[in-house]
Amino acid sequence: MKPVIELEDVRRYYTMGEIIVKALDGVTLTISRGDFVSITGPSGSGKSTLMNLIGCLDTPTDGYIHIDGEMTLGMDEKDLAYVRNQKVGFVFQQFNLLAKMSALDNVATPLLYTGVPYRERREIAMSALKKVGLADRMKHRPNELSGGQKQRVAIARSLVNNPSILLADEPTGALDTHTGAQILELFEELHSEGRTVVLVTHDTDIARHAKRQIHVRDGRIGEAG
Amino acid sequence: MIWENIHLALKAMVASKMRTLLSLLGIVIGVGSVIAILTLGQSATKSITQTIVEGGLETITIFPDRSDPKVGEFDEEFTDVLKKNVDDIETVLPVNSSSALVRVEQESSNATVSGVVSSYAAVLDYEVAEGEFFTLADNLSSRQVAVLGSEVAAELFPNQSAVGRYISIFRNQAKSYLVIAVMEEKDANFNLQYNASVYIPYNTYTDRFVKPTFVGSYVIRVADGADALAVSDNVSTYLDSTVGTDAYRIFSPASLAEMATSITGTLSSFLAAIAAISLLVGGIGIMNIMLVSVAERTKEIGVRKALGASPRVIMGQFITEAMVLTLTGGLLGIVLGVSISYIVARAVEWQLFISYTSFLLAAGFSTLVGVFFGWYPAYKASKLDPIEALNYE
Repeated sequence: MKPVIELEDVRRYYTMGEIIVKALDGVTLTISRGDFVSITGPSGSGKSTLMNLIGCLDTPTDGYIHIDGEMTLGMDEKDLAYVRNQKVGFVFQQFNLLAKMSALDNVATPLLYTGVPYRERREIAMSALKKVGLADRMKHRPNELSGGQKQRVAIARSLVNNPSILLADEPTGALDTHTGAQILELFEELHSEGRTVVLVTHDTDIARHAKRQIHVRDGRIGEAG
Repeated sequence: MIWENIHLALKAMVASKMRTLLSLLGIVIGVGSVIAILTLGQSATKSITQTIVEGGLETITIFPDRSDPKVGEFDEEFTDVLKKNVDDIETVLPVNSSSALVRVEQESSNATVSGVVSSYAAVLDYEVAEGEFFTLADNLSSRQVAVLGSEVAAELFPNQSAVGRYISIFRNQAKSYLVIAVMEEKDANFNLQYNASVYIPYNTYTDRFVKPTFVGSYVIRVADGADALAVSDNVSTYLDSTVGTDAYRIFSPASLAEMATSITGTLSSFLAAIAAISLLVGGIGIMNIMLVSVAERTKEIGVRKALGASPRVIMGQFITEAMVLTLTGGLLGIVLGVSISYIVARAVEWQLFISYTSFLLAAGFSTLVGVFFGWYPAYKASKLDPIEALNYE
């Protein structure tokens, strides 16, 4: 089976004045469909850069990236937006819900960009919210939800377009241990249903939940576990 | 997508009502003043035209130009020539006028003394209040009789009847005239100042008063049911071909009404154009508030981009927001403009004439202002780097 994520000698350099910062310096990595992978590393290791590249928020300076068959090298912002919408489900540490909208509208937003009609959007969003156990919180706004509930809404939102990868950036970072554990359980459940989960964290305890652990240091990767 | 954008825009507006209102003020005032000017301009035109129409559209007056060499053509026979050559003319009355001092004992008044034919009053529906208007015989025998306009009569004979008394008219030398009638009041008809005139028989005027070499003016009564404007045009055409365009001036209430319409129209368009400049200022206010809005919502833009919003979609969202904002301003402006018009029209007693086309124009134009001034902020939003926007606090 073709891997869902493929990186081939990927480099990402930034120029800061006269200095070239090599955030990623030759990363080759494949993640197969249905895998549960963690990416760890200290701050400044290139972990975030790797995540942004996998999430198609950024393109590499050199090297090839394939996300579920789409090669992102040389893509413009419009094509990248399409890949993000179709192939990637983002879950953030700070939830990043849109404050003025209900849980249901938040979850339905990616479908809006896909061009799904209103009724269908609502139905899909409703079933996604049911799946994360928030069927009774659909009309609530983010400020009326607890941290754990917000993260569940965010996970529901990441699922609506049935993406190839779930990309979670420190998803438990803003939650207490107990709630964090529940969220991790939810990810494990999603993984067991066959979804590809990429968990980015600095916490090795959390990383241990993953089946495969990738460690980033100084712009290069190594494997552990 | 459009509906969602409008929905989002309305939400954003409601979320900060005071700020929205303040930033809209420029547009509201701009649209309001344009609407008020156009509405009042049109109402003024209607009122002026109505006044003219009420004064009677059926008369046309021709004034020969004294300095033109062709002025000799305008003799007494010309009345018949005109009647023969132009359709729909009922009567042509020759009139000679000049201003003179009129005196009775110690009272004196400056009046227009007009030499007119005996049918003058009847032709112009000018009613006699007291006595009898002079007759054909009076005219043919050049009797020294006078008929007073209501104002002149009131001035010279404040406490008694003027009929049967004598007045002196000074023109080089004083001559005495017997007052045989006083006329009813009649509204001035732009070219005919009825009430401040003293009327004497046409022949008396030419024989005894001053001897003109040509007729001072011709008052034409248009046939009943004929279009005064068309007759006026025909008279002009005829005169142009016979005596030339420079030899006369023509006045008709109908053409005056047309002129008034065109003047107020031009004036109100001009004023509206000036008021439209304030829309430009309002647009800059919108641009400012949209830039603030984009900056405040950088994080939201980042999230939307991460969820798959393309630059075009983000641009659409913010342009729609600007358009909804300015359209709201436009609608409020229409309400403001109509209210102002209503108050002013009531104060000056004009009949309010509301132009619905100007509403459409105002709504359309304010939306356009939104597109124009929302474009740059929206473009800025669409070009934000998704990573930087997501990490923006």
